[in-house]
Amino acid sequence: MSAEPILQINELKTHFHTERGRVTPVDGVSLEVGRGEIVGIVGESGCGKSATAQSVLRLFDEKRLASYEGEIRFGGRDLLGLTPKQMRGVRGNEISMIFQDPLSSLNPVYTIGGQIVETLRLHRPIGRKEAAAKAIELLRLTGIPAPERRAREYPHQLSGGMRQRVMIAIALACEPRLLIADEPTTALDVTIQAQILELIQDLNRRLGMSVMLITHDLGVVAETCSRVVVMYLGQVVESGDVRDVFKAPLHPYTIGLMKAVPRLDGDRKQELPDVPGSVPPLHQIPQGCRFAPRCAFADDKCRSAMPELAALPGSDTRVRCWHAGRIAGTED
Amino acid sequence: MAFYIARRLLATIPVLFVLSVIVFLIIYLIPGDPAAVMLGDGASPETIETLREQMGLNLPLLPQYGRWIGHALQGDLGDSFFMRQPVRTALAEHLGPTLSLAVLAELVAIVIALPLGIRAASRRGELADKTLTGFSLFGITVPGFVLSMFTVLLFSVQLKWLPVSGYKPLSDGLWMHLKYLILPALSLGIVQASLLARVTRSSMLDVLNESFVKTALAKGVGERGIVYRHALRNALLPILTVIGGSFGTLIAGAAVIESIFNIPGMGQLLVNSVQRRDYAVIQGVVLFVAFAYVLVNLVVDLLYAIVDPRIRLK
Repeated sequence: MSAEPILQINELKTHFHTERGRVTPVDGVSLEVGRGEIVGIVGESGCGKSATAQSVLRLFDEKRLASYEGEIRFGGRDLLGLTPKQMRGVRGNEISMIFQDPLSSLNPVYTIGGQIVETLRLHRPIGRKEAAAKAIELLRLTGIPAPERRAREYPHQLSGGMRQRVMIAIALACEPRLLIADEPTTALDVTIQAQILELIQDLNRRLGMSVMLITHDLGVVAETCSRVVVMYLGQVVESGDVRDVFKAPLHPYTIGLMKAVPRLDGDRKQELPDVPGSVPPLHQIPQGCRFAPRCAFADDKCRSAMPELAALPGSDTRVRCWHAGRIAGTED
Repeated sequence: MAFYIARRLLATIPVLFVLSVIVFLIIYLIPGDPAAVMLGDGASPETIETLREQMGLNLPLLPQYGRWIGHALQGDLGDSFFMRQPVRTALAEHLGPTLSLAVLAELVAIVIALPLGIRAASRRGELADKTLTGFSLFGITVPGFVLSMFTVLLFSVQLKWLPVSGYKPLSDGLWMHLKYLILPALSLGIVQASLLARVTRSSMLDVLNESFVKTALAKGVGERGIVYRHALRNALLPILTVIGGSFGTLIAGAAVIESIFNIPGMGQLLVNSVQRRDYAVIQGVVLFVAFAYVLVNLVVDLLYAIVDPRIRLK
């Protein structure tokens, strides 16, 4: 990774103040995204990956719902210390975000072109005509055929893949330094998924834009990311270089997730193993290691004390497990 | 868009047909011989028979309907037996006051309800939201006639700003016209506003939870832009529906408010005609009101298409 990361999250906690009390979907997350890097964040639903991503842009309602702790360093500032107005200047301008379902993420009553123009004119002092021309350029950049015509159409007239390309065009409008993609391909057909991922990779290379890619699909991570962060119940449980983690996963949760990925050379008669149990709700967080109740390696220590996220000697991968050394084979 | 309009227009034809049949049959829904009822107890059988002949009651049902609808389509709704004038003339005379009152009352409702509902949704739990809860409870529980009596007491009797009752047509000058309509419009409008404000609030809340609002937020759009540009237009469909419905109700005439303020509108005409068993007028008013309802709904449908391209381009 290059010298200074573009995004550095330190001990981020996001609290939701609900009627049934306070929950903390993001509980002490630290991670980095380097310049020009694609970082994958993986985990099952309810692991706090999406909440982490949305916390970076502070999208949660701070008046009624959420409060943040920790630090989100971006471009020499702590985003958590910015005023609402300063934060609006960051959103869609320096950091952009795309979401899971591109149909519901686009405003149905405005044209595609109009929605791109809106972002441009929010952050750049340009006129309507110039913005409209730029919007068509952006649509072309994201590989949309006949962009002049498409710009005048409404979201419901486009296919799913096209809509996600439009979302990407909106995100790219102000040439952000970081793109946060929250499960960008989950709602799409498999062939379209591959195209969208290719587009994101291509833009990452050509524009040098860093990407934080949230997904539950390890295959996607293996293909597109240079580093991976595995999350479980609001915490990072393992993070490191994609090749290292895939070759030798150290956390039992990562191992479980990887076993659950179907393989072409696997035994077709055998049922696909999954991680036993399910992610507990946020107000029932287990004592000690949060993964212990679902873990085959768990012992009394795991059930009573929470391990720290730390690197094993001689390894760059950081892992939150008492038994990581044993799993790595470097100790008994 | 042209196709959409054409389809909507065609769709009103069967509705209007069914409607006309029902209105035509009103006369048979009332027990007894219409002619005898109209003429009263003292009428001789010969007189009754003459009236039956005049009204076409001796014809079989289908030709009777044919005759009636044929005339109605040419704008001839028959004559009022009691007022000795064509029903059409009576309708035209009473339509003006009702239309003025309806437009004014609807404006009052919109001006109160929309800002309140929008603010309550974007600031839920705060002062605007609590104001809305209190206001709509007030509007639903306090009947219009009670409200109107209090407004008369305050603005007419105590402050002497506005007349107690009566009606002056627009030809007497705009202010003169409005002066007599402000209090009834306020009383009607507040009641309509309480429902409209609640619908506005809930529709806005629904839309504010949609994903595209999150996208707008992530683009850097401020609170005003989110509420007015992104959410409001999407929240407009249910709001338009309620406005259309309440306007239709107001066109039908607000008999109670009209009689309190002594406004010669459709409500009064209908109530009086029912009391006088003036069948032609009853049929005329009901047919006209139903027609107006269909028309208002048609306008609402067209507004839908303007607001939401998904409806227009289907």
